[in-house]
Amino acid sequence: MTSRDAILARLRQNRPQGPTLPDIHAVPFLGFEDRFAAFAGLIRNLGGEAVQLAEGESVLDHVRARWPDHGRLVDLTSANLPQPVRPHDWNDVDVAVVPGELAVAESAAVWVSHPDNTFRSLYFLTQKLVLVVPRAAIVDNMRDAYARIRFREHGFGAFISGSSRTADIEQSLVMGAHGAMAALVIFV
Amino acid sequence: MKPAHIHHPEAAAAFLQDREQARWHDSAIWWVRQKRDTQASQLPEWEALRTLAREIKAHTLSRLDEYLVAFQENAEKNGVVVHWAADADEHNRIVHGLLAAAGVQKLVKSKSMLTEECGLNPYLEQHGIEVIDTDLGERIVQLRQEPPSHIVMPAIHLKKEQISELFHRELGTEAGNNDPTYLTHAARANLRQHFLTADAGLTGVNFAIAETGGIVVCTNEGNADLGTALPPLHIASMGLEKIIPRLEHLGVFTRLLARSAIGSPITTYTSHFHRPRPGGQLHIVIVDNGRSQILGDADFYQSLRCIRCGACMNTCPVYRRSTGHSYSYIIPGPIGSTLGPSRDIDQHGSMAFACTTCGSCSNVCPVKINLHEQLVLQRRRAFEAGTLKPVKKMGLLAMRFAIRHPALMDAGGKVMRKVVPVLPAALTADSAWSRAGRALPDMPSKSFKELWRERQQENPS
Ligand code: SF4
Repeated sequence: MTSRDAILARLRQNRPQGPTLPDIHAVPFLGFEDRFAAFAGLIRNLGGEAVQLAEGESVLDHVRARWPDHGRLVDLTSANLPQPVRPHDWNDVDVAVVPGELAVAESAAVWVSHPDNTFRSLYFLTQKLVLVVPRAAIVDNMRDAYARIRFREHGFGAFISGSSRTADIEQSLVMGAHGAMAALVIFV
Repeated sequence: MKPAHIHHPEAAAAFLQDREQARWHDSAIWWVRQKRDTQASQLPEWEALRTLAREIKAHTLSRLDEYLVAFQENAEKNGVVVHWAADADEHNRIVHGLLAAAGVQKLVKSKSMLTEECGLNPYLEQHGIEVIDTDLGERIVQLRQEPPSHIVMPAIHLKKEQISELFHRELGTEAGNNDPTYLTHAARANLRQHFLTADAGLTGVNFAIAETGGIVVCTNEGNADLGTALPPLHIASMGLEKIIPRLEHLGVFTRLLARSAIGSPITTYTSHFHRPRPGGQLHIVIVDNGRSQILGDADFYQSLRCIRCGACMNTCPVYRRSTGHSYSYIIPGPIGSTLGPSRDIDQHGSMAFACTTCGSCSNVCPVKINLHEQLVLQRRRAFEAGTLKPVKKMGLLAMRFAIRHPALMDAGGKVMRKVVPVLPAALTADSAWSRAGRALPDMPSKSFKELWRERQQENPS
C-alpha cells in the first residue's frame, strides 16, 4: 500500500463526528461608512500611504513628485509590458507601479494578480511598491474580497497590505524586511 | 532540533535566573497579547468569527480524507505535483529527492514548524545541501544553532545585544551597533543575495483549499514570496490538517490569523499559489507524521484544528515566564503541551504540567480548542505512563488521598493554619515546594469551607 492510501485509510477509520459546514454569510461582518478613510487610516501604521489622485494628475506625475530622484521605474499599468528573461532581472527596480484589482477597507490590503505579468518577483524585489486601484473597487472586509477575486496570474494572487516588515528583534517594528520598504496605494 | 531531554520545571528555573531578561520576556509577549485584544475588540463579530472558524475546522476534520483527495485532484489539474509522507523520515526523503533531481545546492526556506518537527534542515545538510532560513527570527536562531522559542516570533528569547554580537560575527556588522533597524537591514542585504542565488525555495502552508487545489502562505516579511518567485522549484510542506473546504472560508481565517498572532488586521503578504510559475515546478508534500493517530483520539483530536497563530502561548502565564526553550517539544506553550504529549508521553510528559489550568489559552484560541482541558487529560496520561518524577508523583498521590477523604483534608488544613505561622522561617522557606526567594503567603484564619458556611448562614438564599 502506498503512503497515500495508508494515510487515507487511517483518516477514514479515525473520523470524528463533526458539524455540517456553517454558512459564513449568515453572520453580519464589519462595514464602514467611508471605506477609503478606513483604508487610509489603517495603512499609515503598516508602512504605507493611500491617496486619491487629484483631477488632471496622472499616476506617474504623482510618483515622480513624491520621489523625484527615483531609480529604475517599471510600470505594469502601461500597455506594452516590459518582460525580462529571468525573474532576477527585476532586482534593481526602485519603483514598481502595479495594478491592484481590489482594496479591502478592514485590512488595508490590495489584491494583485496581473494576467499579463510573467514574473511576480517584481512585487517583492522592488524597493517601493505603488498599487493603482480603481476608486470604486474597495470592499468592507475579507469575506467580501474573497467573493470577488480571480487568480489571473499563472494561478498566483496576493493580498498585499503595506510594506514588508518584521518585529523579530526585540519586538521593534522595522519596515523593509525583505520586500518593499514603502507602499503607496493610489486610488484612481 | 531540540536537545533530547528537557524537563520543564528545571529548564524554567534556569531561565528565571536572569530576572531582568525574564521580566522583559514576560512583558514583551504580554504586549502582543494586548495588541491582539485591541484588534479583537474592534470587530463586533469577533466571537461569531471564532465560532465559524471552529465549525469549519471541525467539519473538515470529520471528512478529512475526502477533502484531501479533492485537494489533490484539483491541484494536479493545475499542474502541481502532490506527494504523501507517512512520517518525518519519508517527508525528508521526498524533499531531498526533489532537490537532488534538480541539482539543487542552495535552498531558501520560509518559516515552517512542520520542517522543524521533521528535522529537515539537519537531514538536508547531511546530504550536502545548503539550507538558508529566511524569516529574520528563524535566521537568527539558525545562526545560533538553536531551535525557535516561539512559533511566530522565533527569536523572542533574545535581546538585541545578543543579536548584534551574532551579526557582527556572522555578517560583519559594526560591533556594538544594537539598532534593530540597522541589524534588520543588514540581514536584508545578506539574505537578498541568498534569494538571488538559491536553486529552490521551500515554504510551509497556512491553508490548503480543497475546492481550488491551491495553497496560501502568510508572511509579513515577504520571504516566502521572494523564495518562490526567484528559484524555479517551489516545494511546499503541509501537515494534513491544513485543509479548508472552500476559497470563501479564507474570508474567515485571514480575518482571525494575524489579529490573533500579532495584533495586526492581516499579514503584509497573503499569497495564493495554484500553479507552477512560468518555467517552474510546484510540489506539495502532504505530511501525516502522527496526525491521523491523534484524529482517532476522542480526547485530543480537536488539537488538529490549530492554525498556529501562537495566541495561546502569548497569553499563557507559564510560557511567558519560562520561554519556549523550556518545553521539550518543538512547539511550546499550551498547544505544544497537548501535541507533544500526544506524540510521545514519555518524552513530553512534563509539558502537561507547565500549566495553571487558568483557561486563558482556550479563551483566546481563534478556533476554540479546549486547550486547558486537554492538558489536564494529558496529565492523567503522564501519571499513568509513570513518567513523573518521584516527588511530583508522591505529591499528587497525597493530594488524591486528601481529596478523597474530606474530613482528613479539613483537619490537615486546620493544623497547617495553626502551625505554619509559628514555624521558623528557615523551615518553610526551603521545602520541596518552595525555592529561595519565595515566601509562603500569610495563613488565613479560616478555611474556604468555613467562610462559605458562615456566609450561607448569614445570607440564606
Ligand atoms: S491552539 Fe489556538 S491559539 Fe494556540 S496556536 Fe493553535 S490556533 Fe493559535
